[in-house]
Amino acid sequence: MAVQPPDLATARGADPAADPLDATATGPARASRRRGTGKGLWIPGTILGLIVLACFAWPLVYRDLPSPTAGSLLAANLPPFSPGHLLGTDPLGNDIVSRLLHGGRVSLEVGLTSNAIGLLLGGSLGMFAAFRGGWLETVTMRLLDMLIAFPSLVLVLVVSTYLTPSKLNVIWAISFFSIPTFARLARAATLRLREQVYVVAARLAGQRDGAILLRHIAPNVLPQLLTYSLLWVAAAIAIEASLSFLGFGVPASEPSWGMMISRGQAYISSNPELVLIPSACLFLTIVCLNTLGDALRARTGAP
Amino acid sequence: MTTQIQPDTATRTADPDAPLLTIENLEVTFRTRDALVHAVRGVDLTVHAGQTLAVIGESGSGKTVTSRAVMGLLPRTATVRGSIRLGERQMVGLGEKELRRCLGREVGMIFQDPARSLNPTMRIGNQLTEAIRVHLPMSRRQARERAVELLAMVRLPAPARRFHEYPHQLSGGMRQRVMIAIALACQPGLLIADEATTALDVTTQAQIMDLLLDLQQRFAMGLVLISHDMGLAASYADQVAVMYAGRVVERAPTRRMIAHVRMPYTRALLDATPRLERPPHAPLPVISGRPPDLRVLDPGCAFAPRCSRSQDRCQHERPELTEREPRHEWACFFPCADDSLPGEDER
Amino acid sequence: MSDTLTRSPGRPPRSQSRPNRLAGLLDRPARLLGRSPAVRVAITRVLQAVPVVWGATFITFCLMNLLPGNAAVALLGDDATPEQVAALSARLNLDEPFLIRYLQWLGNALTGDLGNSLQNNEPVTAILGRALPVSLELVVLAFALALLVAVPTAVVAAKRPGGFADRIGMQVSMFGLSVPNFVFALVLVLIFAVGLRVLPAVGYVPIAQGIGPNLRAMVLPATAIAFALFCEYTRVLRADIVDQMLREDYITTARAKGVGSWQVLIRHALRNSVFSLLTIVGLQFGALIGSTVIIEQMFGLPGMGQGLLQAINSRDIPVVQAYVVVMACFVVGANLVTDLLYAVLDPRIRHGRPAA
Repeated sequence: MAVQPPDLATARGADPAADPLDATATGPARASRRRGTGKGLWIPGTILGLIVLACFAWPLVYRDLPSPTAGSLLAANLPPFSPGHLLGTDPLGNDIVSRLLHGGRVSLEVGLTSNAIGLLLGGSLGMFAAFRGGWLETVTMRLLDMLIAFPSLVLVLVVSTYLTPSKLNVIWAISFFSIPTFARLARAATLRLREQVYVVAARLAGQRDGAILLRHIAPNVLPQLLTYSLLWVAAAIAIEASLSFLGFGVPASEPSWGMMISRGQAYISSNPELVLIPSACLFLTIVCLNTLGDALRARTGAP
Repeated sequence: MTTQIQPDTATRTADPDAPLLTIENLEVTFRTRDALVHAVRGVDLTVHAGQTLAVIGESGSGKTVTSRAVMGLLPRTATVRGSIRLGERQMVGLGEKELRRCLGREVGMIFQDPARSLNPTMRIGNQLTEAIRVHLPMSRRQARERAVELLAMVRLPAPARRFHEYPHQLSGGMRQRVMIAIALACQPGLLIADEATTALDVTTQAQIMDLLLDLQQRFAMGLVLISHDMGLAASYADQVAVMYAGRVVERAPTRRMIAHVRMPYTRALLDATPRLERPPHAPLPVISGRPPDLRVLDPGCAFAPRCSRSQDRCQHERPELTEREPRHEWACFFPCADDSLPGEDER
Repeated sequence: MSDTLTRSPGRPPRSQSRPNRLAGLLDRPARLLGRSPAVRVAITRVLQAVPVVWGATFITFCLMNLLPGNAAVALLGDDATPEQVAALSARLNLDEPFLIRYLQWLGNALTGDLGNSLQNNEPVTAILGRALPVSLELVVLAFALALLVAVPTAVVAAKRPGGFADRIGMQVSMFGLSVPNFVFALVLVLIFAVGLRVLPAVGYVPIAQGIGPNLRAMVLPATAIAFALFCEYTRVLRADIVDQMLREDYITTARAKGVGSWQVLIRHALRNSVFSLLTIVGLQFGALIGSTVIIEQMFGLPGMGQGLLQAINSRDIPVVQAYVVVMACFVVGANLVTDLLYAVLDPRIRHGRPAA
């Protein structure tokens, strides 16, 4: 390409210092961040993979896993490394390892499903609103603003209680309140894309809105939503744990991490490990999701 | 308009012939994550009190980096080698404390975009008094009086009222006047104007330049104009240094430079300047090729790949900047002849 | 906790309001009322908040009334006789159409009557009046604590990006954002109440019994809430300051004046970062209320959160409804206040240019 005479073409905005100063000013920060993303991707990714594998595959491979709920009081409060109970048992005689695995399954199921629902509904709502624009967009976004302004934990609490506590209802409640976040994100991304040359070109070529949305906009918005959704899975898991902790989550027949922490609270001075072990699992899962999400966002440059 | 501010001659060197700023063999490299960027590759410049030097070059030629190096304002990734002397003081390797004492008091700087170089949430007055009180032991009240004087000095209308306003309430030209007032708050001997008029419209440009030259004469300052605009240099500078790829490639007094361009790059720059004499709709000659990659250090002349006069020798050997005619230095093996008319080489 | 809920992705946008028709519509009456741009912005914002508050009450009412299942059945349990259900339905006006019930409720609410508790017939407003100060104290303390620690931490971290302090600060805040706050609270209890025995694990002391004992009871819960806030604020502030230091010309101007590096950081960068901080504070308020619910329950503080949980447990619909509406109003109010603070603090809005 023919280079214009220096700066003359762009006498206004061109910053002569731009290349060397700016590019390098962020040098070390960028370099370290990039090195960080390498680590930030693999370490949490591997840990998460192990957690998922343990929760979903272990019970299949190792069939003799004791039931998480049908413990006998005769075997209550066994210390860790007891025969047959790697981490011991709780005051009701339930095996802690099997409760942990089961709880992890509940957390991941709730987190992933509610997130998928929210992403699908919120994402399409946001894309559609932004693409159409006009009063439709204004009204939709105002409604979602109202929803986002709500103390969502409170509402999830109320909704899931009134729907009678069950895993499915918790999932519905959480996904309902994740819609506005995804919709906003999708809208912002779509607004940027809407003015892109290839989208305008497709429009002028007479393609229908639905086709443009599906073919040109969605493939570009989706990666951003997916990256962001990692953070949302973490949030959803935290909400689920909070609900269970408060006793408003999944019913007692399905042990979850939040419930284990809540039950262990009574024994906090005598057996702190009853609280600490599930807390550690919860923390590890969330921190991995968060670092992974952050690292991905930094790498892809998504907002 | 008169002001009570007198030039602070005490900080000037006694010898009027001694240069104010001497840059010798300045090299600046930036570390990036995968390469070294050699932004400045051995620059020599001098500025005397009362003199105006224009440093001309395109983006990435190293002119801004050079000026930031003088101010010690480079990011931490930069390595500076060589010598920058401001009066008697060596600026390279100066500790943060001494550097801070120097900035604003001995050297001031104005930047390209006055809309961005003033803090949007601070009143004009506070930004100005800050510059004064950092260096001078003045009470709040004295500093304020002085600030209003300075605003009057840069011919800002209604200075006492502007004192209380925010940057966004001022026009671009007015903001740049405020920037000049800030830069001159402590009467530095040297003022660096980094593309100071690029972001302004043409009439304001002329006003700001006139103001700058006027103040320079009054306070016998050294003035460095960093610009990509050859026309600006021709009208206001005493001396012109043209930079390309981190080196000075031609240097001469302005009149001589315009009349006897030697370096093909300078020639191309001049030809690329729009002129009234040019027939309407005639295409502007552009410099073909890309700006040099600052990561590689080639043995040859950096301009050779884009140069219409380059020959084999230019690829392998780098011409040094030497005084080949009286007071006229250039770095080229095959310089343009005097009779080459504007644009002739290209056509 | 749900603090991660509204986590703003990266740096909040400086000027986020896209011009919309609604704002333009509301700007006109505002223009008539006030000349100063700041006043105009303020009036516009207040007018914009009204439909949001109204929407909040409506959504709440919908949720509480349109969910499957008869409220009277839920209240009385499955073994209630049909007569009992009918009687209770009549008392709750459940036989009226939904919209009528909503309008009645709204009309009463506007006159300050939120109904009576189904438990003991106490006016809901009285219950709210008792719970509100406790929650407010908790929130204010947590806020103050978080800001007090976050601002210096962010400044020190931003002084040398990638430096020791920065890395420690960022690690801590990343971990902090990943700990659900009830877990963090339990760890605090474990250390300070069970281990060191210096602070009470549970219980509330009214201010009337002395500020000292009251604060002693509030320290752990307030810290538990403040920690997540602190992490979020530190990250946002630090990112914004670093960004300015790299990008903004007025920072270079300040340096070129010879201003010291700490001074540049505090007087110039931090000053402008206040706006990012405000944005995040407003965004986080909903999550903040969510965390008070859990923390109050854990530490036995008789605030709105605990009241809400009790009301949910006893199916006391008018009380639950009132709590949710009040909490939603608080969130809207908090966002309104941050918007107004913007208008007051940002000279670009205060003088001349109203928010574009």
